[in-house]
Amino acid sequence: MNAVRERNVNAAAPENGRDRERRAPAYDAYVDEMDGDTLVIETRGLTKRYDERTAVDHVDLRVRRGEVYGFLGPNGAGKTTTLRMLLGLVRPTAGDARVVGAPAGSPAGLAKIGAMIEAPAFYPFLSGRDNLRVLAKHAGVPEARIETVLEEVGLAARAGDRFSAYSQGMKQRLGIAAALLKDPELLILDEPTNGLDPEGMLEIRELIRSLGQGRRTVLLSSHLLGEVEQICDRVGIIRAGKLVAEGTVDELRGRDWLRISAEPLEQAQSVIRRVPGVEQVSRNGRALHVTADPSHAAEINRALVSAGIAVHELRRERPGLEAIFLDLVRDHETEVHA
Amino acid sequence: MTGSIAAELMIVRKRAATWILLGIWIALAMFFGYILPYVSAPDGPEAVRQAEIADLLPGQLVSAVLEGVPFFGGVLVLILGVLIMGGEYGWGTLKTLFTQRSSRTLIVGAKLVALGIVLLGFAMATFATSALASLVIAWLEDAPVTWPSASLVLRGIGATWLIFAVWAALGVLLAAISRGTALAIGIGILYGLVIEGLMAALFDQISLVQPLVEGLLRANGYSLAATLGVSTAATQENGPGMFSGPFVSGLQATLAMAAYLIAFVAITVGLIRRRDIA
Repeated sequence: MNAVRERNVNAAAPENGRDRERRAPAYDAYVDEMDGDTLVIETRGLTKRYDERTAVDHVDLRVRRGEVYGFLGPNGAGKTTTLRMLLGLVRPTAGDARVVGAPAGSPAGLAKIGAMIEAPAFYPFLSGRDNLRVLAKHAGVPEARIETVLEEVGLAARAGDRFSAYSQGMKQRLGIAAALLKDPELLILDEPTNGLDPEGMLEIRELIRSLGQGRRTVLLSSHLLGEVEQICDRVGIIRAGKLVAEGTVDELRGRDWLRISAEPLEQAQSVIRRVPGVEQVSRNGRALHVTADPSHAAEINRALVSAGIAVHELRRERPGLEAIFLDLVRDHETEVHA
Repeated sequence: MTGSIAAELMIVRKRAATWILLGIWIALAMFFGYILPYVSAPDGPEAVRQAEIADLLPGQLVSAVLEGVPFFGGVLVLILGVLIMGGEYGWGTLKTLFTQRSSRTLIVGAKLVALGIVLLGFAMATFATSALASLVIAWLEDAPVTWPSASLVLRGIGATWLIFAVWAALGVLLAAISRGTALAIGIGILYGLVIEGLMAALFDQISLVQPLVEGLLRANGYSLAATLGVSTAATQENGPGMFSGPFVSGLQATLAMAAYLIAFVAITVGLIRRRDIA
């Protein structure tokens, strides 16, 4: 694992070009004015132990105002326990957490947070609309807001149906609607696209993207790495209760590299090593993995051709979040089994 | 707080189980309180029959209602209490409620206040239907209609509410302890039917258990009912809810029931405040 990727807690502001295009200009404006006071979530040494098992182990999480933060990890890594601690549902064994400027779980903080943790939980005998009425009364939210959020998640037409009659996708939508009810500063969504069909997933992804614009902060926990990669400004990866990597998607990806397929491969490897600017060359199956600034590609190609080597393929590669994630998880599995 | 109480009332009002339990309780109260005693009244000498029927007339409304409350009514509202709290664990809705604006204490408090309001509705519905039944019997028997005093009726409603509240709070507590409904209902019925019943039955044989029996919900419930006119002889013929004593004073029974209510509520709130929500 590239050391740069690991535990990059002090990563700079998001630089993801695609997201910048999509989220500008409101997001860029916030980035420019960002300082230490803009942390919406700040945990210090957050730990949860159940008897001998440590579910969350000294997690220092920092989520900034206005960003969409992806929280990744394999099943049982401690994601949901961390989110529960942020909401005061679970008390930490050690460490502390401040969320939207208040201690985790305090009524003052909860008033500014909308959350959906794991499966959406509602009263099965009440309609979707009545379930939201119950929550609105508890939260002191005007009832007019209910229709707004139902429209926002595309559930207005079926809002009069009982929750028990909803499909999994409709339940997820109602969960998101409930999270939006307070028009929260911080939205915590745990696997929001669970059970949705591809079209529903796309809709919810777009919804989350739009919700994350401006000054609202979104903390998104998901197994769907492609989803996180497309939506999130920054990502934190948790493994066995520890936050093992954090940064923008670009930072986590590390540098681009070159994949070269040539004949004969061993001769190509020694030629490429001599090209100035090439840092490392390694065999990757029947191709070479070249760590170098991709601007050296033409120079490498020229050197190979001059040496009489047949170049079948020379391609710039960009590691996806999935590869990084699997890399981290496999590293851990190797450590565990060693 | 008012918003939270309104929310909890809406949940209870729209839940079928609330109405089913109310229906069962009213049906039981009518059947065992009026219909069965009326149809089984002896056909012998008129004076004997009239003495039996007199207990069913409007003048005896309070004692007729309260006779069935300490046990049958109590066990039914225990189930209501279990469902109101245990359902939250079953559906996982506590996490949804506890991530709103209000504190855990306020939400559980609102739930208990809503339950208290519903129980007042149960008590009033029992008195209303019993009044109607006694009126029908007076009409059938061509008997004069004389109602008990308003203060006695109010005290009767109050006593019914207090007995209901203690049993329902026990149900809420059992649900909070077991984090569900099935086990809580099982333990609640076992306690009400078997443990309290056995203890009450053993009272005559083992003097050692008398102080324990005096502390039971059944003893204090029946003692409270007895101060409002329920015949102690009648409670001895109450089937599985029979109680032959010891009876305590009305004040002691009221204080004991109030203490139970406060203790059950305090333990429930303390448990829910302290525990993690899975």
